[in-house]
Amino acid sequence: MAFMGVDVGSLSCDAVLVDDTGKLMGWTVVPTGARNIESIKRARSEVLGRTGLLESEVEALIATGYGRDRVEGRLAAVTEITCHARGIQALLPGTELLVDIGGQDSKSMRLDGKGNVMEFAMNDKCAAGTGRFLEAMARALEVDVGELGDLDRGAGGNVTLSSMCTVFAESEVVSLIAAGAEVPEIVRGLHRAIANRTVALVKRVAPASSGLKIAMSGGVARNPGVVRALGEALDCNLSIPAEPDIVGALGAALIAMERAQRQ
Amino acid sequence: MMLEYFNNLISGIEAKQHLGKSSARSRFALELARLGRGLYSGDGTVAWCGILAPFDLLHAMGVTSCFVEFVGAMLASTGTVGPMMEQSEQLGYSTDGCSYHRAVYGAMAQGLMPEPDFLIGTSAVCSAGLASIENLACHYGKEMLTIHVPIDDSPAAVAHLADQFREMTHFVARQTGRPLDPVRLREVIGRTNRMRELTLEVYRLARQVPTPARRRDLVNFGIVSALFLGSPGGVEVVEAYCNEFAEKVAGEKPGLADERLRLLWVQNRIQFANPLEKLLEQEYGAAVVADELNDINWDPIDPEDPFTGMASRALSVSFCGPAEHRLQVLLRLARDYRVDGAINPCHWGCRQGTGARGLLERGLREAGVPTLNLEVDCVDPRSFSEGQLKTRLEAFMETLSRRKSSGLN
Repeated sequence: MAFMGVDVGSLSCDAVLVDDTGKLMGWTVVPTGARNIESIKRARSEVLGRTGLLESEVEALIATGYGRDRVEGRLAAVTEITCHARGIQALLPGTELLVDIGGQDSKSMRLDGKGNVMEFAMNDKCAAGTGRFLEAMARALEVDVGELGDLDRGAGGNVTLSSMCTVFAESEVVSLIAAGAEVPEIVRGLHRAIANRTVALVKRVAPASSGLKIAMSGGVARNPGVVRALGEALDCNLSIPAEPDIVGALGAALIAMERAQRQ
Repeated sequence: MMLEYFNNLISGIEAKQHLGKSSARSRFALELARLGRGLYSGDGTVAWCGILAPFDLLHAMGVTSCFVEFVGAMLASTGTVGPMMEQSEQLGYSTDGCSYHRAVYGAMAQGLMPEPDFLIGTSAVCSAGLASIENLACHYGKEMLTIHVPIDDSPAAVAHLADQFREMTHFVARQTGRPLDPVRLREVIGRTNRMRELTLEVYRLARQVPTPARRRDLVNFGIVSALFLGSPGGVEVVEAYCNEFAEKVAGEKPGLADERLRLLWVQNRIQFANPLEKLLEQEYGAAVVADELNDINWDPIDPEDPFTGMASRALSVSFCGPAEHRLQVLLRLARDYRVDGAINPCHWGCRQGTGARGLLERGLREAGVPTLNLEVDCVDPRSFSEGQLKTRLEAFMETLSRRKSSGLN
């Protein structure tokens, strides 16, 4: 028997399968696109294909992410905050503070070290500093978003972004390029701006974060430049799981397993 | 248009009453509609006021009075506020401002505000409210009196405010040609004190676990009841609530069948129709049992010294004075209503709503009351992000549910 978690985010749709001991059996990440019903189907089908399981062998499914209510056949919908907390506990046990930066949301969670959320804070209406923000900046810099993370290596940090509004920041980046600023310096400025904004979220749930076991999840955790800048801003080493994108879906799958086993 | 709306509302509610289909909330709505009719009928004397004006004193002087924020709430709840907001933007008012007041500017420009005979602004609870009253005074070319509300409730502050209320009666008498009648004032104060006594009982009953109040029963109740103070209709409204809640408590009929989480709502509710409160009830058994603005923390008014009592009453409002005063009110409500958590909508553009949020959150957290800060425009539905709010609220409910099941509350 297997248990599935599906995390329908704004940029990616992730599906994870675990067995009845909670061991990861397989996972997939597909772009959400404009039609999330289609991407949900695709993610479910792909993860089943990768594990060689049939839909009928999935005993329970928990959906999470902004599109959680659109997942058919779910046992329940659980928010990504609760699911990320559960998922990171499986991957990095004892995590006390989790930063998750996804496509359009960024959040900080103070955990009890056992995978439960004690407090959380999320970005306000503005999506500055999230995956969408980075995509827009990469477009302005004419680089692939996946390349951004290493582009700032060796930069001295002499460029500061004054705006975090995605639209204004994009035009600021364009102006900086026109003024002859080096791309690594601009990227460094971007990463620091994201880090500073994220620190504000962290401090809301953990005014004194030093000494805590801090981890990061979400697609933006794949960007080493943001991770470095955030580590510097928080004066700590952030732990990053091997697959930071699937933490929410893994948590959902584990919650599915636990709830099904309780019933 | 507005007069027709209120007349239709009144006849609709009265028709239901004749059929025996009446609830305390519908009695409240009836009184509200009658106030609306009074404002828009063109008969009698009308005054637009700040929230802390003594409405019973104005009632005693034969004035139909109302705070301007009523218009924003009414337009939002009837789903008609959008064009007013657009109009206010065309007039140049910033979208960063409070939409209760921007709605007033839009309604004013569209001729949907009743023309006042005079205006009474109050320097608290907010400067945007005072500015909107000044704008109305300018627009209609009417006289405005400004009441300077002190920042504390010391005896000197109370006396200062009481003196201004006394002066206000002279201002009103000059405007209306009707001096204050001491006999009528005494009758009005009698009804104000009766309303106070009954409202305290309504809140005592609402504190029961589970609460007898249904989802919308007490929305805007405290702040709007202030407009009915001293009126026979006001007494009837609160009596209806008292009787209904007492019956429900005696009959063990809770407002929410499966109440599992009890919430405190900070500041004002979201005024336009939205699915969030229903979602909280249905998915999490979470009921908003307490509202910051549903509170009475003032002594009965002494008929021999009414202005002092009215001044003390105004200064007892949680929004008056420093944030610490607000925090103490919230902590008392959280304790009395035995809440599991608090939600602060942090109404967009409101300095009271957002300015103190950190202090309130910290103070409540230290007292063991987790608090969720949202970013909601409570009047303008155009910027309502249902998905984002839903995720924040649901995550908060999941956290509270786990705390409760772990015995952490």
